[in-house]
Amino acid sequence: MIDLALPAGTAPIRRKRAGMLSRLLRDRVAVAALIVLGLIVIAAILAPWIAPHDPYLTTRRRLLPPVWEARGTWTYLLGTDSLGRCMLSRLLYGARSTLLIGVLATAAGGAIGVLAGLTAAFYRRFDGLLMRLNDVLLSMPAILLGLALAAVIGAGMTAIVVALSVATIPTVARVTRASALVVMGQDYMEAGRSIGLPDHTLIWRYLALNCISPVMVYLTLRFAQTILIGAVLSFLGLGAQPPAAELGMMASSGRNELFIAPHVATIPSLAIVVIVLCANVLGDALRDLLDPRLRKL
Amino acid sequence: MLKQLANRLVSAVPVLFGVLLLGFLLMQLIPGDVARVIAGPTATQDVVDAIRRDLGLDRSLPVQFAAYLGRVLQGDLGVSMINNVPVASELAGALWPTAELVIACLVWAVPAGIGLGALAAMNRGGWIDRAIIALSVIGLSTPVFFFALVLMIYLGYYWQLFPFLGRAGPIWTLEGLNGIVLPALTLGLSFIGPVARMTRTASLEVMSADHVRTARAKGLRERTVMLKHVLRNALIPVVTLVGLQAGFLLGGAVVTETIFSWPGVGRMAVGAILARDMPLAQGAILALAIAFIAINLLVDLAYAVLDPRVNRA
Repeated sequence: MIDLALPAGTAPIRRKRAGMLSRLLRDRVAVAALIVLGLIVIAAILAPWIAPHDPYLTTRRRLLPPVWEARGTWTYLLGTDSLGRCMLSRLLYGARSTLLIGVLATAAGGAIGVLAGLTAAFYRRFDGLLMRLNDVLLSMPAILLGLALAAVIGAGMTAIVVALSVATIPTVARVTRASALVVMGQDYMEAGRSIGLPDHTLIWRYLALNCISPVMVYLTLRFAQTILIGAVLSFLGLGAQPPAAELGMMASSGRNELFIAPHVATIPSLAIVVIVLCANVLGDALRDLLDPRLRKL
Repeated sequence: MLKQLANRLVSAVPVLFGVLLLGFLLMQLIPGDVARVIAGPTATQDVVDAIRRDLGLDRSLPVQFAAYLGRVLQGDLGVSMINNVPVASELAGALWPTAELVIACLVWAVPAGIGLGALAAMNRGGWIDRAIIALSVIGLSTPVFFFALVLMIYLGYYWQLFPFLGRAGPIWTLEGLNGIVLPALTLGLSFIGPVARMTRTASLEVMSADHVRTARAKGLRERTVMLKHVLRNALIPVVTLVGLQAGFLLGGAVVTETIFSWPGVGRMAVGAILARDMPLAQGAILALAIAFIAINLLVDLAYAVLDPRVNRA
């Protein structure tokens, strides 16, 4: 009988991936986080269709408590805020803005970071310069960046999305570069180069695809952090401006009625906790599966 | 050691330069023509031009930037546009409250986090371990303002245990101490999770090292092993973490100060930005950035104390 076993290093990638997914699915906490986060994302996308009321419509039924409290009503499941707006509808729209900020910033910062990391690893002559620039960015805390940008271009969604994107770049660039340097040492990179493939093919087809998985894991964890910082900046009044609904801003506006109607501030805050917690749990599980070395970051 | 410190100082220069450039940019954003404002509405163009020359506003931007650097180095940060007080004196009053808050937070949160992390590592895999991990992930996922709001509602309002608005006095007075409890608790709660997590991971790594096995083999009590042989080594990455999280800590301080009306630099920065008071915003952001750089330098010094190997490298 002829043994057709492949050398250990070339085990089919697809099989490895499938194993990964089933291992992830065996982690019950991670699955729960995935489901909850999925439901929240769907609810946020469908907000215009499933919200029971207009999130901007003010009524005279101000500061109604949620349905489970004594004066609560079924019309307003989560009660109303100080302008009599439906909390549930605002929560759905708010989750939409909050998630959008997180996705935009993670995607933009992630893209630039990956580009910088790949460039540094592929064109070694740019490595020193890029990584030095990176260190400068790395030493700017996200909240400080947010404050500075809000000061320069004025408070608003643009300021915080840009600030959060910039804050995402340096660590993503580092993770990408580290991962890409390992791939650069592989034989197939040398082979690709020796048959005269152009740089862009080498970079995108050979390098990027092979070094992207730790980057994706890192981005999941980063997404959680980005949402958290975004909510904090909005809470400070530097992000979304009224009457827009955004979870951090909603929590902030509930401060005036904190002691007579705590739900106005606590419900949006809890929503943020749930979203960030799910993303963190999911990111941790993915990291443990794919690349335990990332634990140190 | 000295060489390493010098290296760190040198690498802080571009950051500082970037921050100063930003401060200069903010000052350029002040609306209106300063020279014309000073000259008054009836002044002729000649007078306005003369004032502009006097102020150096007719020079190129790089020259103006150099002049700005000179002024900052002399401690002249401009005058607040809202209450006409020099920014430097406003800042001087705000620095100590922020320092107080950060210190009060570290004093309880770092030991508590280290304790929890060590406890988790000692009970690896048990329910205590799992509970501590779960709590630290929840802590990591909670925005600082939520801790603040909950503490305000319960400890401040319902049970009336501590005041929750403003600062009554310096920390060494009874009122001051009483007033800092809630802000320090808030900031600390957001910091305890990362510290506990890092301590646990680091302790587990050290616990599997040979010298720990030797310590156990020679019959040392578990407590001694943990304190003298494990934690001392595990503290090094924890100290790094405190340094890496300095930005996070200052960001948390900004939020905490804003919510509790704590008269620190963070609240000043947010207030100035929202009011578009550029000189004040510039000063406060500069102060926060310099504090961030300073904390990182202090962390490097702490390394040398904790890890004698750093000296030799």
